[in-house]
This record gives sequence, structure tokens and C-alpha cells, in this order.
Amino acid sequence: MPGWIRLAAIRFVPRRVRSQVCREEGGRRFMPRKVRLMLGLVLAVAMAIGFMGVPAAAQVQFEAWGPHVDEIIMPIIREQQARRIAFERGESIVWSDLTQPADIDHARTLPYADMRWTLGFHMFYTCFNMRKAPLDSQVLRQAIAHTVDRDNIIRTLFKGYMMPMSSFVPQVSPFFNPDVPTYEYSLEKAAEVLDAAGYKLDPATGTRIDPNTGKPLPDIKLMTPTYEVAATSAEIGKIISESARKVGIPLVHEPTDFNTMLDKIDYHDFDMYCLAWSLSKNPTHLVSFFHSRNDVEAGYNNPGIRNPELDRILDLLDSAPDLATAKEAADAAQLILAREMPYIPLYSRPYIDAFNKTLVTGYVDMAGFGAASYNNPWTLLNIRRVDRNGRPIEGGTIRWALSEEPKNLNYAVASSAYEWEVLNKTADGLIISHPETLEDMPWLAEKWDVGVWEVEPGKQGTVITWYIRKGVKWSDGMPFSGEDVKFTIEFLKNNQVPRYLPNTEHIVKVELVDQYTVKVYFDNVSYWHIYNADLAFLAKHIWEKVEDYRTFEPWNEPHPTIKGYNQVVGTGPFVLKDYVPGEYVRLVKNPNYWRLNPTEL
Amino acid sequence: MGFRSYLIRRLIYTVIVLWVILTFNYILFRVMPGDPEKMILDPNFTPQAKMELRRQFGLDQPPLTQYLNYLKSLVKFDLGLSFSTRRLVWSELRERLPNTIVLFSVAFVGQAALGISLGVASAANRGRFTEKFVVGAGLFAYAVPTFFIQLLLLLAFGYYWPIMPIHGTMSAPPPDGSWARFLDRLWHLILPAGSNILIGFGSWALYTRNTMLEALGQDYIVTARAKGLPRSEVLYHHALRSVLPPIVTLIFMSLPGAVSGAVITESIFSWHGVGRYLLDATLQMDYPAAQGAFYLIALAVIISNLMADIAYGLVDPRIRVGAGAGK
Repeated sequence: MPGWIRLAAIRFVPRRVRSQVCREEGGRRFMPRKVRLMLGLVLAVAMAIGFMGVPAAAQVQFEAWGPHVDEIIMPIIREQQARRIAFERGESIVWSDLTQPADIDHARTLPYADMRWTLGFHMFYTCFNMRKAPLDSQVLRQAIAHTVDRDNIIRTLFKGYMMPMSSFVPQVSPFFNPDVPTYEYSLEKAAEVLDAAGYKLDPATGTRIDPNTGKPLPDIKLMTPTYEVAATSAEIGKIISESARKVGIPLVHEPTDFNTMLDKIDYHDFDMYCLAWSLSKNPTHLVSFFHSRNDVEAGYNNPGIRNPELDRILDLLDSAPDLATAKEAADAAQLILAREMPYIPLYSRPYIDAFNKTLVTGYVDMAGFGAASYNNPWTLLNIRRVDRNGRPIEGGTIRWALSEEPKNLNYAVASSAYEWEVLNKTADGLIISHPETLEDMPWLAEKWDVGVWEVEPGKQGTVITWYIRKGVKWSDGMPFSGEDVKFTIEFLKNNQVPRYLPNTEHIVKVELVDQYTVKVYFDNVSYWHIYNADLAFLAKHIWEKVEDYRTFEPWNEPHPTIKGYNQVVGTGPFVLKDYVPGEYVRLVKNPNYWRLNPTEL
Repeated sequence: MGFRSYLIRRLIYTVIVLWVILTFNYILFRVMPGDPEKMILDPNFTPQAKMELRRQFGLDQPPLTQYLNYLKSLVKFDLGLSFSTRRLVWSELRERLPNTIVLFSVAFVGQAALGISLGVASAANRGRFTEKFVVGAGLFAYAVPTFFIQLLLLLAFGYYWPIMPIHGTMSAPPPDGSWARFLDRLWHLILPAGSNILIGFGSWALYTRNTMLEALGQDYIVTARAKGLPRSEVLYHHALRSVLPPIVTLIFMSLPGAVSGAVITESIFSWHGVGRYLLDATLQMDYPAAQGAFYLIALAVIISNLMADIAYGLVDPRIRVGAGAGK
């Protein structure tokens, strides 16, 4: 069942009613499609009224041109409470990425707060070590999955603000398979599954007997971060352990220092652990997490799953020549994983942002990223100030708090989300995702072709031809062309720039067909290479003079020809004007932005 | 032993202590669980990409080579590139040091001045309200957690009565004109420095009170009083002067705080200082950044100790004689 329906179900529909509309198949619960749709419609209305709490501000239809503000001041406010105060004092237009239920509840009481809620790519899960007994038993893993009461965890720890998760791909991703079976919470069902597989309960000890050894199951340790580091993760570990023990599975919660935990996971020295991932819309993480070739030290196949059928499908997913093949493979992989159960997906954290509707309007909810995320270019283009009557106005300044120091505003080395929260406002990609469907749309590239070429006799690779849009300019007025695209890819590859290693490792060569056509050749076939060639581009006329990219601080270097500009030169809607470390970042509208005026398109 | 040989001995000790600290600094980060490249949790990062990152960080070299490179670069004051920000550690520290020094200096002078004055006043008014108040307030300030007071102040003056800035060292953007900028900075300093003074004056007051009480019971104070000297002269010229050496030591020993900063204060008031930098670097296993910051702090501690020793040697000849007599 789509996750948003399930969340709504938790918040608004009594458990008795929910169990009536679901039917069970082999211990797994399904909801008929028609019922799902009807319930979805009803609950969407209920959520709009109930969850949002306050009426939403009049939203401007999102447009693909802008920006509509002249300046963005981003004060750096690292303390959580200070950010809340800044929002309430009107010193920040948004209180973004709310995670604490108390903060969300409080924000909902503010009459000027417009709550925006969007599904995200986050996944919190419990992982099994399938390499050793007793968790090499599929039945035991499935039984443990039946003892996990997701709904209760979400209700008690998160006041219902998280999304239950049943698949290994986030619900918001276009690759989410809604037909993946869910292991419903049922201690009776868990006991039944165990009994049927021969895991008999020893009445003397209250522990199940392992049919393979004839001895009681050994203690199974469930590692989580400590309460001091991540209180809710630790509490989830405790809840899961207590629940499993009720059916005779000796699960022991073990809060562990975070770095020690990472070390133990890397060396496969664990039974179970709870952690979270921040994923993306593409399901390529399935290959990293579950392909047997990644079951190596420092690889991400932490559960150690080795399933030849799954490997074959994941190979197909990894080297899918087109979208349809990729979708088919992703669907099949999710079904196998639901059976194998290397992870128990628990919940996904949505993006919850509060905007001050007396100051701004026009922000756009983007699936998977939220309305205020740095990955959302649509809000940046569409956000507008409002006058006293709440009508949108052009121009002016908005203040948008940054929750961390950006530290390094060099496109080649910036790595943290806080750095990209600034840099993304100054840069554009070749393609852009639609805010609702997440489909790829042309942006700096007018179009692209995906083809194959012969890397060597008998071996094929992908070749992507990018047709660069004419008339695009860098923020300093110089034309943007295929030469910049070629220069960037070669620069990042030749210098082995760490952040871009996954992007460039399969690139063989880049060919400039003409000023606005670039061909990028990869050494293997994969549909996902489209995203590997879509980068934050470097202005050739600036970067070809850089001696050491690692120590280059473009925000501190004056522009060679334009007074008052620095060398952070991009094609995005804003220009970095000032960065005062520890204090604020100031961006102004890019006068050379290619989407300033819709009539010019 | 003459002052010169005393000074040379102190300098040699200082270099040895610095080497020991730097060695521990190197070992500690490497025996701690976790690795810098593990901080990059990205499903797209293949094991091969992680190995390349280790190579670029220089972590693929033998530990002894890494150690020697580390010592060589520190001697040249080359603190290297931060793993997490990929910026020169020295550039980052240089950016933050002035803020930490300003905050620390104002808070330190305020704490010391207020604490010493109140300590003297409470000793002079033993058994009266002044003493009870100073002891009570001092103990309260000493015992209450820093973050609690600071969050209360933030809430009081940033939210309920919003007259104070809640973050940073300046307005964003700052006002035009040097006077306006100066006043703007002062305005931003009030809450962080004021809260530090409130929290820190207690220990100074209690320490001064105790040492003053001891001094006021000495025979020479009784003699001074018997001579009919005014009360203030007895207090400040005789009693306070005699307790100044340990207070001076305390001042010197507190000076390294000017470099290490106050992590909690810097975090709560979003103050761009060294303390927060050190915390971040440690949490992110950013060896060069953490080692650079610790190096700076170690230098500050050692130089402060050296200065205290030299000052003692100059002020009190018994220390030089004692050092020589031990041989």
C-alpha cells in the first residue's frame, strides 16, 4: 500500500477498520487496489484538513522561470532553538526540515505558519547478518519481521509523523513497487511461522529451540546508536527486542558507540543493527546494498545476502539500457528482497517545513525533497514576497536561515548538504526533475540521446549525446557551451576529485561534436549514466587557470574582469555576493540568468 | 642556579612536553573507533572509491610514515587540508581565532574582575549578607549547567523580550559605517559574553574569598590593623597583594581558553569560533583539523605555563633557588 495512505491510515483510521479493509495472503497483508484508491481519496482530503492544521497560503502555480526575489540573505544559525526563534521573529521565512514531534506540533499552532509535508527518500531499517546462524534462516528473519509493530513505533515515538515503510525503495520513488508484501505485526503469526519451521518453544527457558542444533537459540544482539547520540533509534531497538522476546526469540538490545558500530558493520561483526539511509529517486542503491559482489569489507552489502537470482536481476538493473528495463528489474528485486528479508524497512521520514505565509508564497512541494530543500530548484524560481494583503510581489529580499556553516563553496570539493544549499542556488544541471512526477526534464540540455558504442570487440558501452541549449550564459556574462561540459567532466576525471569518483569512474572519453553537442562515452551499458554526466559545471574560463583545485577558494578570489564579483561563477538563478564565515551568505539575482524572462524562451 | 640556566631547563622541558602531546594527539585519533572515509555514507561510493579516498588522505601509508609526515608538517606550521572541508586547516583556524579571542577576553576579564571584587568584598564582610549572597550566588553559578543558563537567556531576550540578537557576531548584513559596525558587534557580544561572566564569576569569587580569609587571619594583617592603617589599605595593599601570586597563576592557566574557546557558548550563540571547530573535527574524524586545533591549544597551554614559570622565576627568587637546590 502506498506509504502516504498508510500514514494517513495510522493517523485517522481506527485499527479495527483498517484490518477490515485488508486481506491477508500467506501471512502478508494486502489491500485491494480499489479500496486503496478510495481510501486514498478520502484520506487525502482528511490530511489536507486535519494534518495541515492551518489553511495553506494561496500557492502560485509553479513556473519554469524566475527568480522573483532580488536577494536572499542566509544567516547561519546552528542552534536548533535559535532557528525556531528566528522563524518566529520573522528573521527567517522558513523553519525547515522539522523532525521533532514537539517542534512540528508547535509550528502547527502558529497562525502564520504554512505547513508543507512531502514524502522523502529517507529509510530507517533493521539489518540482519545473514552470513551466520541463526539469522541465516529466512524463517527466523520473517518471524522477527512479524514481531515489529511499525505503527506503534511511529505513534509512540513520532506521534504519527513518520511513514511506515515496507519496501526497500522509498514510496515516493517512481521505482517503488506497491505490490511488495508487508509482514503485518502479529505475534501469533510470528509464533505460527516459527512453530511450523520447527523452532519449538522451550517452556522452561521461554526461548525457542533451534531445529538445526537442537539447542536454545543464542542471544541475538541488536545494535543501535546510544541514547545520547540517537534516542529514538535506541528506543526502537529496545521495542523490537522486547517484542521478539515475547515469542521466544532472544533478541538483546545493545546500544553502541556510533563509530564502533560502523566499524563492526564494516567487519561484519554483528547480528542485527538499526540505522538510516538517505536514498535517492533511483533504485541503484539496491545494487550497492544487496548484490553479492558488494559483500566485501567496506562494501555496502552489510547483510551479506548472496542470492544468484537476485544478483542476476540487480545486474540487469545496474546495466539497464532503458527506463522500462530498469523499472521491471527494480520491481522484481523488491519482491525477492521482501521474501529474503535482509533488512526490515521500518519507516521513512517525510520533509516537514513551515513557511511564514505572511512573508512569502510560491514555494513548491517537490516529491522526495520537500518544499525547502536545497535539491528543490522550483521553490527557488517561484518563491515571492507578499504584501500586507498576502498578494505576491516581485523583487525584494528574503531571509532564509542556514542550519550549518557552508565551509567550502568550491564546486569541485563541496560535499555537505549545507554547502550545496548555497551552491545549488548558483548552479543548474543539464536535466531537472519534475516536482511532482520526478520525471527528467530538459534544462541546460535541450535534449539527449542514449545509445551504445563498442568499447572493445565484444564489449558494449553507453554513449550519451547532450544537445546543449544555446543562449545560456554564466553569471559573469560569458556563454555556456559544450566546451564547459567537456572541460568539467575531464577536469573531475583527470584530477580524481573524490566527490565525483562514482560519477567519473566509468567515463572513457568526452567528445565535442560541435560547440553545443557533447558525447560522453562510458565503459559499460547503464541507463543510470545519464545522471553520472549531469554535474555542477565549472566555467572553463575560470577553472582552466586554477593551479590546485583542492586549495582554490573561489568565494575569496575576486573575479578577473568584473569588479564586485568573485570566482563562484555558475549558470544558476543567483550569484554569490558575500560569504562571511560563521555569519551569513548573501546571494543576489543573476542578471544573466537564462530563465529570467519567459518571453525569451 | 642562575635565571638563564633556569630558563634553558624550562625551554627544554617545554619542547619535550610538546612532543609528547603531539605524539599522543597522533595516536589517540588513530586508536579511536571509526575512519574518516566512513563518514561518507553514500551508497554510490564503491569500495574502490573509498580506497582512492584513503590514498588521497594519505591514510594508505604505513603509520610511522604518517607520523613522521605529521611531525614534519607541524614543525613547518603546515596543518594540512581538512578531510571534511578540503580547506587549509590554518586558514579555517585563522578565520575563527579572532572571534574566540574577543569572546574569551571579554568574558574572562569580566569574570575575573567581578569574581575577584566580590571575593574580596565577601571576605571583608564575613558573616554578613554580602558574604552569604556572594557564596550563594557563586555556588549557584558554579553548579548550574552552562547550556541551561544560556538557553534561558536566549529564550528571555531573544523570544519573550526580543531585544537581543540570537546568533553570530554581527548582523546579516552588518550596518554601514565603522562606528555602527562596532556597536553592532558589541550588541552581539552581550549575551554570549554576559552569560559566560554570569556562569564563570562564581569560581573566581569563591577562590578569592577563601584565600583572602586565610590572609586576613595572618599576623601581619593584625599588625597592620594595630598600626591603625585604613581598612581599604589593609585589604588591598596587604591582604590582596599577598594572595595575588596564586590568582596570577590561575589567570595564566586560564589563558589557553582564549584559543580553545567555549564549545557550548559557541554552539548556542552560533559563534564562529575554535571550540566548535574542534568539536566538529573530532566528531567527523577529521584528523588534520582536530590535530591542528589541538596543536594550537597545546602551544597555548605550554606557552602560558612557560610564561607563568618565567613570571614566577622573576617575581619569586625562592623558585630559582629551590630548583637549583634540588640538584
